Amino acid sequence: MNIIREVLKELVGMFLADARLTLATLFLVAVVAALVGVWRVGPLVGGGILVLGCLAILVEAASREARRVSRQ
Amino acid sequence: MDPIAWSVAAPAVGSAFLASLVEAVEAFTIVLAVATLRGWRPAACGAAGALGVLGVLIAGLGPLLDRVPLHPLQLAIGVLLLLLGMGWLRKAILRAAGVIPLHDEAAIFASETGQLADSARHQPTSLDWIAGLTAFKAVLLEGLEVVFIVIAVGAGRGLLWPAGVGALAACLAILAIGVAVRKPLAKVPENTLKFGIGVMLSAFGVFWTGEGLGINWPGQDFALGAFAVLFLSVGIAAASMLRRPAAEAIQ
Repeated sequence: MNIIREVLKELVGMFLADARLTLATLFLVAVVAALVGVWRVGPLVGGGILVLGCLAILVEAASREARRVSRQ
Repeated sequence: MDPIAWSVAAPAVGSAFLASLVEAVEAFTIVLAVATLRGWRPAACGAAGALGVLGVLIAGLGPLLDRVPLHPLQLAIGVLLLLLGMGWLRKAILRAAGVIPLHDEAAIFASETGQLADSARHQPTSLDWIAGLTAFKAVLLEGLEVVFIVIAVGAGRGLLWPAGVGALAACLAILAIGVAVRKPLAKVPENTLKFGIGVMLSAFGVFWTGEGLGINWPGQDFALGAFAVLFLSVGIAAASMLRRPAAEAIQ
């Protein structure tokens, strides 16, 4: 049972290492899905928001962790 | 295979190969610690047991993937790849910037050997069992990541077999080198590899997520290369921006 628990923990950890990064990414995908599916924005606009949003989330997550470590 | 197919096949096989290289190095360190302390038998039995479980998982999940419609599959895999890839890239940026320490195989080997030796003092009769379980767990946990990455980069375009061969080649290469040197493979530039894998997984994540949402990327498959260049450039810039002075990083 201990092994199963560790395997599940590892699997969850693969995708939830940083909860805010995970939530922000899921929110971004939902926004792009709504823009493309409901408001019918063009692929360049929807795709551009997805790419730039991911890059922004990545930089914010790394900067936030660096600030947290430097405060310790 | 036509040139367009190669533009996705090459990054898919390359990502599977590099990711498997890193995971195989990490699993090998622990299997080696087990073998050093208790001999190759419990280490090999534990590793073989884990490979068997992974094989059953692949055989069970593989046919199920064929039944999932392409767009929902691309979206689900794309989002998971984004989460995994950006997680790896974030950590690689922080390591490259000196914010968090680099992964140290020699230190992990010493710690794992120490823990096993400690278990030997408390439960001497069941040590082979504990050693085998340790090897089993290490290969299973690292192997699960390899299986996911192979499925994720391969399933969207029917590239499961090439990606799987790439992963297997990496595991066999690490096994051959590891058995020859019989030391933790501490000289493998793990963070550089993880940086590259994070870039590729994130690029695949954006690509599949977009396709799953019905976005036709300009340049089609070649957009994948453009995403990789973007993630790499932003990752390098972020690492450089966050780099701490050497003295501060050492403390």
